[in-house]
Parts: sequence; C-alpha cells; structure tokens
Amino acid sequence: MLTAVVMLLQVYAQDNQLTATVAQLDKAKTVKDYQALATKFASAANTQKTNWLPFYYAAYCNARIGFMLEDDGERVEPFANDAETYGKQAEALLKGSTDKHQQAELYAVLFMVYRSRVFINPMTYGREYGIRSQQYLDKAAQLDPQNPRVLYLQSWVKYYTPKMWGGDKEKAKTLATEALSKLQAQTATGEQPHWGKAESEEILAKYNR
Amino acid sequence: MKPIVLLLSIWSLCLSATAQISISGQVSSQQGLAIAGASVSIKGATAGATTDSSGHFHFTTKLTGKQVLRASSIGYKKQEQDILIADSGITVDIILPANHQTLGEVVISAGAFEASDKAKGASLTPMDAMTVAGNGGDIANSLRSLPGAQQVGEREGLFVRGGTSEEAKQFVDGTLLKNPNYSSVPGVLQPARINPFLFKGVLFSTGGYSAQYGQAMSSALILETMDLPDESSASLHLFPTSSGLGFQKLANNKQSSYGLNVNYGNQAAYNSIVKQRPDYFLGPEYGNAEANYRVKTSKTGMLKIYVNASLSNIGLRNPDVDSMALKSAFKLNSSNVYTNISYREMLGKDWKLQAGAAYSYNQDKIGLQLQDGAHQPVYLAGAPYAWKNRDMNTTTNFAQGRVVLSRLFSRNQALHIGAEHFYAEDRYHSGDSLYPLTDQLTAGFVEGDIYLANNLMARVGVRGEHSTLLKKSTVAPRASLAYRFGDGGQLNLAYGIFYQKPENQFLYQQRDLRFSKATHYLVNYTKKAGNRLLRLEAYYKRYAELPKTIPFVNSNGSGDAKGIELFWRDKRSIKNLDYWISYTYLDTKRDYLNYPYALQPYYATPHTASVAVKRYFENINLNVNLVYNFATGRPYYDIRSPQGNEHTQVFDHGTTRAYHNINLSGAYLFNLFKGKWKHPGFGGIGFGVNNILGTRQIFNYQYSYNGMNKIPVIPTAARSFYLGVFMSFGIDRTEDFINDNL
Repeated sequence: MLTAVVMLLQVYAQDNQLTATVAQLDKAKTVKDYQALATKFASAANTQKTNWLPFYYAAYCNARIGFMLEDDGERVEPFANDAETYGKQAEALLKGSTDKHQQAELYAVLFMVYRSRVFINPMTYGREYGIRSQQYLDKAAQLDPQNPRVLYLQSWVKYYTPKMWGGDKEKAKTLATEALSKLQAQTATGEQPHWGKAESEEILAKYNR
Repeated sequence: MKPIVLLLSIWSLCLSATAQISISGQVSSQQGLAIAGASVSIKGATAGATTDSSGHFHFTTKLTGKQVLRASSIGYKKQEQDILIADSGITVDIILPANHQTLGEVVISAGAFEASDKAKGASLTPMDAMTVAGNGGDIANSLRSLPGAQQVGEREGLFVRGGTSEEAKQFVDGTLLKNPNYSSVPGVLQPARINPFLFKGVLFSTGGYSAQYGQAMSSALILETMDLPDESSASLHLFPTSSGLGFQKLANNKQSSYGLNVNYGNQAAYNSIVKQRPDYFLGPEYGNAEANYRVKTSKTGMLKIYVNASLSNIGLRNPDVDSMALKSAFKLNSSNVYTNISYREMLGKDWKLQAGAAYSYNQDKIGLQLQDGAHQPVYLAGAPYAWKNRDMNTTTNFAQGRVVLSRLFSRNQALHIGAEHFYAEDRYHSGDSLYPLTDQLTAGFVEGDIYLANNLMARVGVRGEHSTLLKKSTVAPRASLAYRFGDGGQLNLAYGIFYQKPENQFLYQQRDLRFSKATHYLVNYTKKAGNRLLRLEAYYKRYAELPKTIPFVNSNGSGDAKGIELFWRDKRSIKNLDYWISYTYLDTKRDYLNYPYALQPYYATPHTASVAVKRYFENINLNVNLVYNFATGRPYYDIRSPQGNEHTQVFDHGTTRAYHNINLSGAYLFNLFKGKWKHPGFGGIGFGVNNILGTRQIFNYQYSYNGMNKIPVIPTAARSFYLGVFMSFGIDRTEDFINDNL
C-alpha cells in the first residue's frame, strides 16, 4: 500500500517536473537555453522510459538548435544526431497508438529533425534529408491538418522555398496566421505540445517587413 | 594449535587491510548507449581503467571510504561522482552528457583540399569544384582556382607548386587514372575523358600526401566514385561542341545498378562561327562511351566496374616559327580504353579490405607536316626542317592491381597495409624506328593513423617501390601531424619523400636513369567556423635527380620550390552568395631538361590569385558562377647550344605580360512535365563565356631554331562561348536546388 502511494507520488512529481520544464521551454530563446532544456528532457526521458513526451521534447530542442545554427553548418551535426536518436525513440513509443494528434505532433518534429540535417551543408545533405523531412511533414498534415505546429512548419517551408520550386510568401502568411489563431484557441500551458506562437509571429514579422 | 589460529587470523587481518577492492560499472550516454574507450579513475589516485566495447570497466584500488570517481570520453562532458568504497567492492554506473562543443575527430589535412559529399559548412563539395566557371567539365581544371596550382592556359592538367603536369597524378578508387584528359595537342587545352559527376569525393593534395599513393612527385588528385544512385534516371544534353545521352538503372531491390553514357562533339561548326587562330583541318572531334555496373555484394561489400572508351581526332595548322611562308601542320588520331574495377568489404568488425584493378590502352597517332601556302607538303633537308615531316605512333598498355588491408580502431584510427603492382608497356614508333619500354613496378606500403594525445593525431607511413626497367628500388617515408586547438583551429605539419619514374620521352633514349625525387616539408593552419573557412599553408620542396637532356640524357637535375598559400571561403556573409579567394606565392628554380643552370621554369610564376563567386538568383531561378584568375607573367627563354649538343646557353629571355581571365557560367533551371508525367524531370539552359573581357593572354613564347624569331603562345580564340540545354528525368533534382538555397 505504502509503496503504491510512494510510486504514485513519484509519478506525480515526475509529471510536475515535466510540466515545469515545458514551461521553461516556452521562455527559451538562445541555443544555450535549448541546450540546457535538451539535457533536462533527456534525463526526464531516462526516468520515464515509457512516456513519449520527454523524448519528443528532447528531439524538438535539439532540432530547434539545428534550425538556430543554420548559418553554422559545422556545428549542426551532433544536435541533429541527438534529435534523431530521441525522435526515433519517441516514434517507437507511439507505435501502434491510434492517437492521430500525438502522431502528427511527432511527425512535425521529425520534419524538423531531418530538415536540420540539411543545414550541415545543403549541397550535400539536401537531397536525401530534404526529401525525407518533407515526407514527415506531409504525413503530419494528413493525420492532423489543423495542428498549429504543422501549419507553422508548412508556412516555414512556403516562406523559405524559392518561388520557382513551389515557394509562396502569400500562402506562408495565410498558414502562419491560421497557425496563430489555432494556437490562441489552445491552452498554452501543461505538458502537451503548445509551442509555435513566437515562430509563427516571426514569419509574419518577416513578411510584413 | 592456538597460536597458529591467532597467527592465521592476524595474517588474514593484514591481508584485508592491504587488499585490492574492486570497482566496476558501466559508462553510458544519456541515450543509454554504452560508451567504449571512456577513461574512469579515482580523483587524486592513479587507479583507473578504460571501458570495453560494452562500456564496462573494472579496476582495483587500495583506497576506501569517500572518494570521487571521474569519467571522461571524447565527445562527452567530464563527469565526477562521489562514491563510498565499501570493503566488499562497489558497482557504479556513470552517465556522460554529450558535449556538442567538440568537433568530432581530428583529421589529417596538411597539403590537402577535400571535396566530399559529407562536407560540412564551408568545406568544399564535389559540386562546388565542378561548378567553377570555365572548367569545361574537367575537375583538374576547376582545381586551378585553388591555391597551389598554376594558371597554364596552353596545357591541360595540374601544375602544382613548381611541378609539371606530369608530376601530378589522378587516382580513381585507389588506382591510377593513366590518361585523364584527351591526348595533348600543342597549345590547345584538351578536355577530360571522364564525366566529373561520377565522383562523390575529391581529395586534391598539393603535397605531403599519404604513403598509399606514389609515382607522383608534386600532387595527387584522389577521386572516389559514387556507389549506387538514389533512383533510376535518364539524361540528355545538347551543346554546340558536345551532345550526349545516358541513363542509370537502379535494380528494383536497390542492390545493384548499371548505366551507359554516350557523348560526341565536333567543334567544326562552332569554329566556323567563332574564328580560331589555328587553322583546323580535322575536327576537333571527341567521342566517348562509358558504362558502369555497381553491386552490393553484401551488407558492407561493394563491387564497381567502370569502362570508358574514347577517341579524338584533331588536325590544325599554325604558321611555322622558322619560316613565315610555311605552315606546320599537326594531326592527332587518338583512341583510349580505360577500365576500373574496385571492391571493398568489411572482414569482421575491425578489418577492411579494399582491392582495385585498372587497365588502360592508349594509342596516339601523330603526323607532323611542313606545308606551303596551298597546304601542300614541303620537304626541306637539314635542321630545323628535316624533322618537321614525321609520323609517330605511340601505344601504351597499362595495368595495375592493388590490395589494401586496414585494421580499424576507435576514433578513426587505423593501420593500413597494402601492395600494388603496375605493368606498363609502351611502344613508340617514329619513322622506321621502334622504341619499346616495358616496366614492372611493384610497391608496398604500411601506414598508421594514431592519436598521440587527445587533440594530436599522427599519420606515419613508409612506401617501398621497385622498377624492373630502372632496376632500382626506393624507400619513401611519409609523416603528418595534426593538432587541434580548443577553438577548432587546426595546425598541421607534413613531411615526405616522393619518387617518380622519368617520363618515357627520356627513357626511350636512355634507360640508365634514376627515380626523380622530391622532399616536401609543409605547415598548415586551418580553421572552419560559421560557414567560413580559412586555410594558410607554407612549404619547402627540394627536387633531386630530375631528368636533364644535356650534354646527354641523365638524372643529374635538381631544384627547389617554396611558397605560401592562402584560401578563404565565405558562404555566410551575403545571403545566397558563396565566394572563395585563393592566393599562391611560389618561388621555384630548376636545373633540368636543357637548362644551363637553375632557372624559374617556364610554367611557374610568383603570384597567382583566384576569386570564385557563386550566386543564386531566387526570383528568376538562375545560378551564376564567376571566376577571376590572375597570374603574374611567366618567364620564357631561348635556350640553345652554340656548338652541337654540348652545353647550352640562354640567348634571350623575358617575362610574359600578366595574365587576367574572367569566366562566367550559369544555368537557368526549369521543371519539365511537372504533374503531367510519371517521372517528372528538370531541365536547364546552360551558358558560359570564358575570358569575358577578351583580355590578351600570352602563355609563353616559342623561339625559332636560330633564335631570330619568336612567336607568342596564345589562346586559340580571344573568348570562348557555350549555350545549350540539359535535361534529366527520373530523379526530381529540384529538391537539390531548393535545399541548396534555403
């Protein structure tokens, strides 16, 4: 009886801790912030080996660092490697799950994971990982077309792709706006994924400039 | 009995007081992966161990009580953990957090430019090298915009750091590529025989290279071919001087592929529009067909077969240097077959086998003729005219076999042991005379890449060679060191001795020659960060036993070369723009051929610089490449022997004007049949202009026999142009272009 209570308390504490770390993620800005959070999520993943969320967040933080280091190709690879490791572990945990929303969240992050690899050197890594990342985003959009993070990433692709190859800044604006309105309808706290506001706003700010 | 029991128990007490206590455990990463080779020790004590391949460690200590256990491994942050050592021993598991500040393993890089499909940031990729404007599809030509190479416009190949183009050799998957370019024509740069898109890795070594390669005194261009293609595809190109088509078929099980490419070009039509200085009476005509088969022989095994057959036919007339009323005509019919077979396989976890074989056949039929104004042959007796009517025929059969066995260790350390054998059979006919040469050259080498300290890597090797033709053996030591600073900068040092057989032109006349020899010393600093790359290199080279032709053919030549080189690449400062700058300072003198004493050779100049710019114009879908090459003037000499064949004298000399050259090339890309066809394609319009400004370029001067007249060696036309279309189906390469520019 007592052991059961202790275990319950432990789980409760762990959940609380995860929520607290996710709250910190909402305020993260620099590579250093994300790096510290990646370590925290990684150790959370080590203690809660069956919960996909810490793995998801560890993958996300590392992939986000990859995006932030776009202009510094030499540094991207170790983060992309970690992002892939955690991403794959999260994927294994969600295997067989019927929750389309969760799967869409993960595929959106897997898009970022593989896209970050492109930044190592687009000339050499672009072909393989560009195609692979897009497949994940398409899958995510299929599962949950209204997911604000999927919408934001679609907007990101439209914004940064040259026009000739399907880029469309207007469409990017529409998608980012849509992502924002969906985010406003969502609770912006808790441990479930809710990031994307600052990122969508950044695209809109760039568009308006 | 009692005292004995007491004694025994005291004995056991003493034992326990000095007993070794066992400490064991496992080191793993945050991802739960075992870390092999991590060092674990007790702080302030010598006790410690290194983890095995499963991350486990075990050691014993006399220490007890509260201690600090520390663990470290490359790529991870150091970790310290408080432990309490119990008498019964303890088990401790340690988790090391990843350290993303570390920059992977140290890479030996003195003297080398690597363009790889694994390149990060501002490091070169094969595509970067192949898109240098004006290279004409020749990798060696595009590498002339990197430091170390000279701008020698009248001849193909690489002239590196005071060396001739014969001293720079190309290797494909380990074996020698005997004839990388179409056979030489005096004064006219000849194109490459092999499609540059075959290669996924290019290592251009300008000195101090590995003991795995030999018979190249100045430079080794080490090329690595692609494995299986991603998808099946077909391609087509139509340009005024060359058209071709080809396909690559990937088997459904993705375990093998085959492909065929055919190219043909005749420049006669182009030359009728863009006037050429030489009067071409044949071609220039080039044709080649290449086929490949690649198969995965196992999970780690790969077999690749490549065959290339090519021919060229060229005839041209130029004013004769000895008599302005006459023309000297040159005609070449050349055919070549090249085959390369390479195989690699892992033998267990730690051993790697690489084997290769190459065969090449080459025939050059050259006809020289002195002609009058109506292009009729003129036969005049006596020097210098007698030898201006001649037919020469050279055939070469060349075969090579090579095996390298490597033992791989952690952190990219390795020990390589290899052997190779070269068979060369040359038959040179001139008039009624035949000059046969057959050589069996055997080489063996051992080389190790090892860490001497955490950030200090060494490559030490030795290569031995024996030639049956020269009846001589050589032993060539090579060594390279690389030290990495905390900020990612790397300092490299290299030393090596490089031997090369004299060229056939000397051996036809005199077989009792020695291997030419070059000793390289070089120091290099390289730093890569933030999509920028800086590379500085200084070197000194000493040449010995170079071929001399006076008073008779001998091996008594010598020389030296020293220089400083700079390379800077920046992909970051301006969005969508990538540029590099290279500068080469060269101070070299040689006493060779018919030089009376050490002179700066005719192909060398002190200052050479290049700026290469690549820009993608997103809105109009246009890629533009621009390169500016500059070189100070080259020396030229009138060297003759006043009395017959004895000693020579420099009767006249000078320096050519400085060389300026701007080449522009570009491609406008578009989609083909998008959405309408099962296999979408992409197409492009490619264009280029060499020497846009039409700057007058003089490469050298040719003197008449009596020294009374000299004529400049200049390009065949002030400018050259191309415009054409290319298409590719099957592989949707639009992603490449998108990703290149995101």
